[in-house]
Amino acid sequence: MMRRLSAAMVAFFVGSLFSVSLMAADTFELVIPLPLTGKQAKFGEMMKRSYEMAAEEINAKGGIKKKKLVLGFEDSSAKPETARAIVEKLIDVKKQPIIVGEYTSACAKAVAAVAEERKTPYLVVASADDNITQQNYKYVFRQNAVNDHYGDGVVSFLKAVVKPTTIAILYESSAFGTSGADAMVKDAEKAGTKIVLKEKYEAGSVDFKPLLTKVKATRPDVIYMVSYVMDASLLMKQIKELRIDAKLFAGGAAGFAIPEFIDNAKDAAEYVISATLWTPQLKYPGAQEYAERYRKKYGEYPSYHGASAYSALFVVKSALEKAKDWTPEKIRDALKVTDMTTAFGPIKFENKEGYQNQNFMETLVIQVQKGQFETIWPLNHASKKYVFPIPTWRERR
Amino acid sequence: MYVIRLEVFLQTLISGLLLGGLYGLIGLGMTLIMGVMKIINLAHGELMMVAMYIAYWLFVLFHIDPYLSVFIAAPLLFILGVAIQKYLVNPVLKVESILPENQVILTVGIGMVLANLATIFFTSDYRSTPVSYATNAFYLSDFWKDSPIELSLSVPWAVSFVFAVVITIILWFFLSKTDTGKSIRATAQDLDAAILMGVNVKRMRVVTFGLGSALVGTAGCLLIPIYYLYPSLGGQFTLIAFVITILGGLGSTVGAILGGLILGVFESMTSTYLSMGWAPVGRFVIFVACLMFLPGGVASLLRKKRVGK
Amino acid sequence: MKRFLPLFALALCSVLPVVGLNSYAMHIAILVIMWATIGMAWNLLGGYCGQVSFGHAAYFGVGAYTAGIFYSKLGLSPWWGIPASIAVVLLFSFLLGFVVLRLRGPFFALATLASGEVMRVTAENLDGFTGGSLGIMIQERTWVGKTWYYYIILLIAAVTFFLVRKLMQSKLGYYFLAIREDQDAAESLGINTTLYKTIALCLSGILTGIAGAFYTNYMGYIDPNVVFALHDISIIAIMIVMVGGAATYWGPFVGALIMVLLAEIIRSVPGLGAAHQTLFGILLIVIIIFLPNGIVGDSKKLKRLFGFQRASS
Repeated sequence: MMRRLSAAMVAFFVGSLFSVSLMAADTFELVIPLPLTGKQAKFGEMMKRSYEMAAEEINAKGGIKKKKLVLGFEDSSAKPETARAIVEKLIDVKKQPIIVGEYTSACAKAVAAVAEERKTPYLVVASADDNITQQNYKYVFRQNAVNDHYGDGVVSFLKAVVKPTTIAILYESSAFGTSGADAMVKDAEKAGTKIVLKEKYEAGSVDFKPLLTKVKATRPDVIYMVSYVMDASLLMKQIKELRIDAKLFAGGAAGFAIPEFIDNAKDAAEYVISATLWTPQLKYPGAQEYAERYRKKYGEYPSYHGASAYSALFVVKSALEKAKDWTPEKIRDALKVTDMTTAFGPIKFENKEGYQNQNFMETLVIQVQKGQFETIWPLNHASKKYVFPIPTWRERR
Repeated sequence: MYVIRLEVFLQTLISGLLLGGLYGLIGLGMTLIMGVMKIINLAHGELMMVAMYIAYWLFVLFHIDPYLSVFIAAPLLFILGVAIQKYLVNPVLKVESILPENQVILTVGIGMVLANLATIFFTSDYRSTPVSYATNAFYLSDFWKDSPIELSLSVPWAVSFVFAVVITIILWFFLSKTDTGKSIRATAQDLDAAILMGVNVKRMRVVTFGLGSALVGTAGCLLIPIYYLYPSLGGQFTLIAFVITILGGLGSTVGAILGGLILGVFESMTSTYLSMGWAPVGRFVIFVACLMFLPGGVASLLRKKRVGK
Repeated sequence: MKRFLPLFALALCSVLPVVGLNSYAMHIAILVIMWATIGMAWNLLGGYCGQVSFGHAAYFGVGAYTAGIFYSKLGLSPWWGIPASIAVVLLFSFLLGFVVLRLRGPFFALATLASGEVMRVTAENLDGFTGGSLGIMIQERTWVGKTWYYYIILLIAAVTFFLVRKLMQSKLGYYFLAIREDQDAAESLGINTTLYKTIALCLSGILTGIAGAFYTNYMGYIDPNVVFALHDISIIAIMIVMVGGAATYWGPFVGALIMVLLAEIIRSVPGLGAAHQTLFGILLIVIIIFLPNGIVGDSKKLKRLFGFQRASS
């Protein structure tokens, strides 16, 4: 019995190794690598749903050049080796002419290296590390903003409205935290704001109070934090406990910009502002419809990762329609001249500031008002007026 | 200027002590298991995670406060611990193998299964129990109107600290005054002598593992209002439990609490005065330093003092 | 016949790329051989010398970063990292061993576990030197095709295999076994246990470090969470040897083959992917309880189970 079972397992495995996908003539198959298990599964799941919604709409309107768009997903568990193996399989074995997807920057980097080697275009959808599009790669395109620019909206809000003299920066010890913090340091120095504290912490820490006590002692005007969701909630809760008052609490996107932040920090989250790349209240074509449809189907609003994934397929559609034929080279050329407005925002790939094939988008600012995120800046995108100055902790009781 | 420095120091000290109390409770279960059974349980943190999920679901489904969940989660964890000891650990202790560390590796496997099962059933989403008093605190300025400094004592942290101390005291009484407790200590001190004295050693081991699991489960229920929950949180707490066990001395309840307090204050002080990023390194340094220079832990210092008199 | 088994296997492996496997299958083959190397290295310290290390990721990562830093800071080809890692990891293992080898059994295991984690945090914090969490990315890997990578790792694995075998057949091997069986008795017989444990640790570390340097060259991207990972590197190394068979020559190969294939199969079956750690954990538990000497070590037991041998023999 065991022998037969092991023989079956070997056959299955060998079969999957040598598998060749049978592509029907009237479909275009796009397999997307993303993390469906592991710590980032939630974002992977959200992006998968958004991709599926986009594909539905595209097919309902006739598909791409009359061919039906068929999606597939492969789970990389946010591990770079796995992402790389998946993409190598897609390009070498399945001969897919374009790669879209991934979420973490580590995986995006592994995929980008593979795509560039094999001269296949790769569209980055949600990975933020600056250096992904700083490598002089010709085949890697990124539609989401880079980490360095995430905080632009917040910076302009601080400059125009808050005008802080001092700022304290706390960040988690990851690439995301480090580059977000470094970007804020640069912007603060340009604006003449004094950085009274810049400290990193290990994500998942239980007690931030010693660190926050240090922050309190420096009495900063603004406390800027770059964290993922649970650290963000804990930070605000413990700031409230210690009654640290600042003119404003600001987050550098990620943990501060998703609904779980409000769910977990509750009243400690009120009046906190954060950078974000997209909100469901924006007036870009299709943005609010996408947000409402997602919410109706899945019970909550999508984050900017979902919006980016959704729009990515439309960018792919436009490139495929423009391309002279569907070889990787020609698709790449068509992708390069993309110039359209999607539900995520305007998409145009430029070579600027040392980045190649990077889309530069306005970043926005949201503020928690009455337990909800409201877009407050830039004013032309605002859904509600910003609240500033904010009441002290004592006053809030 | 000095006022601010004093405030920072005192607040850090308070945070450290509160953290230390909780740490001590986490280490208590492990020191018991290691002291009695000489078994290294690398699934300790995962057991705590299981208790936290129990507390979470009780909160979400039945609105039971996490502090009350202790009375449900602890017995459940006891049963789980007994089951693990009886059906998984005991067989391994009997098997002949090349490597004596098999039981450590076994607990690694158990930990992996527990953490992954939680991921499968509950997804890796972060969860928390936002109780209404989660961010309440006692403030110095409320009691002393003109105090120059502001100190805050968080309510949930304080409750956890009190709980931890009370449980330690109860455990100490149990171990020193009851028959079962004394049998457990006997098994820890000298296995053969205990057998000769008629102690049911097998039963004591099983009870100890159950007790250790119940203790760490209690710590989990106390932790969940002030932290959050996700399937892989076990790892960092297992490591903390080890440092405390070694720091405090194997099998010593007083040592575990003292070890916890020392570690808590040490971590808080280094967070404030050095940098928070190096916390794991600090723990490792203490751990190795203890193993090398003070293998009996704090408990051995206390014992020396008593004997010296 | 049995004497020629290793050479025969080596010849077979050498011809494999010529058969024309696709790049995905080659990737799997390279992984299997790399993990077999790491397994053999761990086996030297753990299976033969009895010091169970839970932190082999530390050596792997140091080797990987040596290659990476040669590229990022010195502008040299990361392939120089392989010979360089011998020196770097030797120094590192020696210093680490100085601290942890005075601990026995489970305490040694814990100290090594902690050391792996410490290296991870250190690599994250020293971002000026290591690039921190941004990692090190090699812009152009040496070859696009896999064949040469395969031969290089095959060479590394072959050298490791013959080295371990030669070592264990020498006097040194007996010392290792003596230390494993009863360190105090060995010491009382005049064996300098500290010296030999250190030798075992350093060799084990160096071999793992070379695998790490290879990894950097092959994958083209490393960061602290990838190469110093507890669950993905240290524990997998242990599992490979436990499943395959501690203190056997072929155990690590069998273990690596099973673990890598198993991981790929589990990942490819949708829905099963999430249960990957559970299945590995259960496998580990089953092996520990029923086959504590691994598949190769307990091959007689296995054969009896499958009815290949009569129970009376």
